[in-house]
Amino acid sequence: MTKSTFKKKFLPWLLPIVIILFWQLAVQLKWIQSEFLPAPTEVVQTAIVDWKKGILQKNISISLFRATCGFVIGGGMGFILGLLSGTSKLFRKTFDSTIQMLRTIPNMALIPLVVLILGIGEPAKICFVALACLFPMYINTYHGITSIDPDLLEMGKSYQLNTVQMFKQIIFPGALPTILMGVRYALGTMWTALIVAETVSADSGIGYMSTNAQQYVDVKTIYLCIIIYAFLGELSNYIAKNLETIFLEWRNSARSLTEE
Amino acid sequence: MHQNSHQNRKIFIFFLLVAWICVAFYGFKQTDLGNSSEKLTTIKIGYLSGDEIEISAARGALKKKLRAKGYNVVFKKFTSGAAETEALASGSIDYARTGDTPPVAAIAAGSKITYIATGGVKSNGTGILVKKSSGITKVSQLRGKKIAYTKSTASEYFVRALLKKYGLSTSDVKLVNLETNAASVAYSKGKVDAIVAWDPTTAQLQLSGSTLLADGNDVNYNNRSYILSSSTFAKNHKSLSKLLIKYLSQDMKWANSHHSTLIKLLSEKLGVKKSVIKTTINRRKYDFEPVTQTAIKESQAIADTFYKAGVIKKDPKIKSHVQYLSVN
Repeated sequence: MTKSTFKKKFLPWLLPIVIILFWQLAVQLKWIQSEFLPAPTEVVQTAIVDWKKGILQKNISISLFRATCGFVIGGGMGFILGLLSGTSKLFRKTFDSTIQMLRTIPNMALIPLVVLILGIGEPAKICFVALACLFPMYINTYHGITSIDPDLLEMGKSYQLNTVQMFKQIIFPGALPTILMGVRYALGTMWTALIVAETVSADSGIGYMSTNAQQYVDVKTIYLCIIIYAFLGELSNYIAKNLETIFLEWRNSARSLTEE
Repeated sequence: MHQNSHQNRKIFIFFLLVAWICVAFYGFKQTDLGNSSEKLTTIKIGYLSGDEIEISAARGALKKKLRAKGYNVVFKKFTSGAAETEALASGSIDYARTGDTPPVAAIAAGSKITYIATGGVKSNGTGILVKKSSGITKVSQLRGKKIAYTKSTASEYFVRALLKKYGLSTSDVKLVNLETNAASVAYSKGKVDAIVAWDPTTAQLQLSGSTLLADGNDVNYNNRSYILSSSTFAKNHKSLSKLLIKYLSQDMKWANSHHSTLIKLLSEKLGVKKSVIKTTINRRKYDFEPVTQTAIKESQAIADTFYKAGVIKKDPKIKSHVQYLSVN
């Protein structure tokens, strides 16, 4: 029991901790000497100083706001479009190939257009994030719905379920694991898009902090920003993973039943 | 056991999500979108160093109260009343607090400016001063003396009114037109025999060996403050003007009852000794109210005097440049 807890709780953290310790030692013992590699403790000090000045909280919260808004708008739209494509043949025929074409456009390529249309304010940044979250959600929702076991649908039909019942009891639960995978994937692209958005033309946010630090060769802040991104990415991943566990409990319990 | 940990996980994730949303909302408030000042209508109020608006700005109550009503107040400091009336006419500020002469001059020059409110009486602090050592004790003794004043300001009106009352003409004395600071210097160096000044200069001179020979009371001159606005702005923002007067008068009541705070504040702002400020504010009453008939008559008297003296080209009808408001 203790061994399995150790494995479950501690093992994932082992490698990052070892890397950081090694990094600290390497700098402290002067194995590596470079102005581009400050010690982790220095990065932490920068974080404390910035926190006291109020810069850190402000930028993190602003970034979080942009990310959340973009995710809700883009992810929501992706979900709805995916749902429509998955359930309606007509809709799929009309829209799917168009959406797939748009999907392949790199985010960076859209920067000039978005800046022209939406300016450089918050809407433009949120739009970037939304675009990045839309497609993973769309594809996974669509895929989840279309790849439901036909036998299950057949069974539903033989139970004479109407469309709503069919959707609520077979299609949606069946597609949910794939949809949640889409959520997780979208959360990843959310942060990537946010960096792009915030490095283009911003005066706040983690991405801005980082590009601003780059201008003044403030390496510590750059590392700090990278670490914050890593932390926020891990945090969202953690939440998504747990949401999966919560929503898909029925699957796990079913599995553990068959295992027993 | 498993059920329990599952429940805990749900609660934990729920709180994590709530925290996430809270931080994101905090972030939203920090952005331009969430910063409420963007949604508020900005109103700009011009003022001069050490005046009533400076007190209001330092107290902060006016800004807070107007913010609650949907206005973001920005205070802009000017160096002269003439600059303020120009800014009003060009629309770069919405309201201005000036003395009584700048609006008269501006209206005579064709600026579309409206009187919104009038301030308290300052007659005790505006007057003519001579050095105690000069031996002058009566206004009539000023005959042939050099008097420093500043053209088209309260000091010009005062000196003209004073000479008229005592039966002197402007040629009986030597009037020397100097900027306010230059006038003080010339007076202290003895280049002129008398100076027309207003507080806090008057108080400062009195505390350093000068006598106030005559003050505003001698010529029924109250030397009030006014709140002005451009005529178009005044016409379209009556309710805002009412609010402004109401809140300003509340600030003025506060000023009247918090002398020690006020002395400290103003002596810091103006770089003047506390004793000087004390004298100044002890002999005036802070107030703002909708424009009264008395105040209009006073301003009309200024206009008439200036017109006769050739200071202004036209004799404006002050009462047609007034917005009468009732504030309860």
